[in-house]
Amino acid sequence: MAGLLELTEMRRSFGAVTAVDGVDLAVAPGELLSIIGPNGAGKTTLFNCITGELAPTGGQVRFDGSDITGWPPHRLPALGIARSFQRTSVFPSLTVGQNVWVAAHGCAPRDPFAALKPADAAIGVRAVIAEALGLVGLDRHADKPADVLSHGDQRLLDFAIALAARPRLLLLDEPTAGLSRGDTQMVIGLIERLKGRYTILLIEHKMDVVMRLSDRIAVMYFGRLLAEGAPQAIRADPRVREAYLGKRT
Amino acid sequence: MIVLIASQLINGVVTGMLYALVGVGLTLILGVLNIPNFAHGVLFAFGAYFFLAATQAFGGFWLGLILAPFGVALLGGAIEYLGVRRLYTAHHDYQLLFLFAIALILQETIVLIWGPVGTTIQPPSYLAGGVDLGITRYPLYRLVVMGLTTAIVVALWLLLTRTNIGAIVRAGIESREMVEVLGIDVQKVFLFTFALGSWLAGVAGSIAAPITGLTPSMGFDILPVTFVVVVIAGLGSIMGAIGAGILIGIAQSLTTIWVPEAANVVIYLLMGLTIMLRPQGLFGRR
Amino acid sequence: MRDRTQFLLLIVALVLAPVLGRPVIAAEILAFAITAVANNMLLGYTGMLSFGQATFFGVGGYVAGLMMVHWNAPLWLALAGAAGGCALLAAAIGAVCVQRVGLYFIMLTFAFNQMFYFIAYSWSSLTGGEDGLAGIGRPAWLRDELRFYILVAVLFLLSLAAMKRIVDSSWGRLFRAVRDNPDRAAATGHDVRRLKLLSFVIAGGFTGLAGALYGLVYGIVPIDSIHWLRSGDIVFMTLIGGSGNFFGPVIGAAFYIWLSETVSLFWDRWPMILGIVFALVVLFLRGGIVEILTRLAGLAKRRAAA
Repeated sequence: MAGLLELTEMRRSFGAVTAVDGVDLAVAPGELLSIIGPNGAGKTTLFNCITGELAPTGGQVRFDGSDITGWPPHRLPALGIARSFQRTSVFPSLTVGQNVWVAAHGCAPRDPFAALKPADAAIGVRAVIAEALGLVGLDRHADKPADVLSHGDQRLLDFAIALAARPRLLLLDEPTAGLSRGDTQMVIGLIERLKGRYTILLIEHKMDVVMRLSDRIAVMYFGRLLAEGAPQAIRADPRVREAYLGKRT
Repeated sequence: MIVLIASQLINGVVTGMLYALVGVGLTLILGVLNIPNFAHGVLFAFGAYFFLAATQAFGGFWLGLILAPFGVALLGGAIEYLGVRRLYTAHHDYQLLFLFAIALILQETIVLIWGPVGTTIQPPSYLAGGVDLGITRYPLYRLVVMGLTTAIVVALWLLLTRTNIGAIVRAGIESREMVEVLGIDVQKVFLFTFALGSWLAGVAGSIAAPITGLTPSMGFDILPVTFVVVVIAGLGSIMGAIGAGILIGIAQSLTTIWVPEAANVVIYLLMGLTIMLRPQGLFGRR
Repeated sequence: MRDRTQFLLLIVALVLAPVLGRPVIAAEILAFAITAVANNMLLGYTGMLSFGQATFFGVGGYVAGLMMVHWNAPLWLALAGAAGGCALLAAAIGAVCVQRVGLYFIMLTFAFNQMFYFIAYSWSSLTGGEDGLAGIGRPAWLRDELRFYILVAVLFLLSLAAMKRIVDSSWGRLFRAVRDNPDRAAATGHDVRRLKLLSFVIAGGFTGLAGALYGLVYGIVPIDSIHWLRSGDIVFMTLIGGSGNFFGPVIGAAFYIWLSETVSLFWDRWPMILGIVFALVVLFLRGGIVEILTRLAGLAKRRAAA
């Protein structure tokens, strides 16, 4: 199956520790694939190998047919790949709008005269910013410094930054981590709005969220892919139950 | 020629061992507290000046040599306790800048107390004079310096590998969080490490004083070299600092034979090469 | 809005300076002010602490001085040579330094500074070594101190205007993004190392210009111009003025010169005062003089409202 994103034999070791041990995975266009697994299973390491924060020790990453293995992070938004971060990652001293501007600017064509013009001069970028803020519901806060936002709103800003790249593939690393019940619902609602329009690869711990959102689920266990399939199939899989012994669904 | 090379080689090892001591002190502070100690050079200078004061006050060479480093350790501890400690929550650049400010203040203090002109200190007569090494005649005191520095390095190695506090310091270099998690008072570890690093700088200054003489700027002069030692060794490598120190000492002294003007620049070239070919340093991990 | 007010205050200060003090000192302050503002592009805006800006301050002085002394180059060419030469040097040094972050970056800039200091010290046939590069003469029409000050003030304003433009542009905002969160800046498509290098080159170029102007103030480029302690002074000026404000470092430079000129009159150990002030700023007043002024303004506003 030709996936938008294809991982072949992904491997990442840290000295004697193998965090990702030969993972094969394909993400179809338009689907939402969740990666779950106990702590230490290698999920975030896998993400980091895709997005370039880490270089894989072995294996291949293909996006839309092109080999992007080991590409540094800053080359990916231009291809259409964006990610959010497990611990909210924004630019605290910039305003909400400026935060999104950084991301929108990251995909904009290079302007050799950029130094001579005020930062907000490019009109095309304004539309992208407005769209991203609108999607997450932060438009009213565009001029506020990012560091005065609430915890939940900062997480939404984190997403808006990823969305500003107008990506084809969105990688969300534990988007509901550390959020209250209310904020979690907000984020779930956002992801549901994004489903279908974006191809989404999601890492998540909360099983109810995973079950609700996913088209398919991949289970990682000690760096390996344990099982893969539709949510109901995964829920019934005895190997998955064994791996999650003690975890409530 | 052979004679010249041989004696310069030994000179290089002697200077290198002193660089190594200062470098190890800096590495400890850098490794555990994560701060480049810009006051490290001036602590070296205080080692020399306290030694001078001690020999003048108490009349004994060895007594002065023993007391002076502890004076410097006290000074270092005070700096950590009264100043650096207040800046742990601030951006780490500020700790560095604070230490730079302290270096300025202490430097001027040396001039205030001991005057702007340098002075010398003589080793006791039984340590002066030369020794016949076959190939050449060599100053006895410098050989004594080699012996002393080796003894201190061995003692340090024993401290770090055989004692509890040594293990904690080594753990602190690896991971500060680990030390906190183990329930150890990190503040005390910081204070101890800063004092220990200062002690090492101080003892190097004391031992060096009869060879190099004393000038108020000796602290600022040795600081850049110390940084080079640490960079070439690799941040966090204690034993590597010793190797790097000796390497730099020899490089400097041998270069002096053929291109004296380049003797100071050559160590920066070495540093540049290390950064480009092996960025983690010769002995560092990462 | 507030930018315009600050700018106007600056103009007023520039006009008053040669009247209140000596034009020579005022020109010296402006030369350092350019350096400090350039350093703030690195420190305040991009979050890079360099302990080696004296490399460019010194090299700029030497380049301009040599061009004028040995080649009889016209003033504008010598200044352009200093700025351009230092921009290139900054590109070379920066390319190595930006490969590392934090402590390593600081120590690399520091070590490069030392290297160039020793080259300047030993190559005395070129630089005058310990005695400095002397005999830098100004063209006849600039021998009058007030005229020279006006030229320096004009160049100062142009430099600041250029740097303000950069800081308000996309580049400036990206610098701040790199300062705030380099990993996210990279993840959103920006080559962080290239941005850091850009900031480093801009700062180096303007610092070279400043060093050249400084050489013209007294007709000599002293070896101190390239010593790492000068780098420390530059950081001091940036911080004590206030690194969170574009114009803060200008105040810092003025304060530093005032301190060194005034205190050194009656105490040789004035660097100790420098150290004490610096230590106090680092401990208690990280926003610098600008922070004091802002707090006072806030107090005044509350008094007025009440």
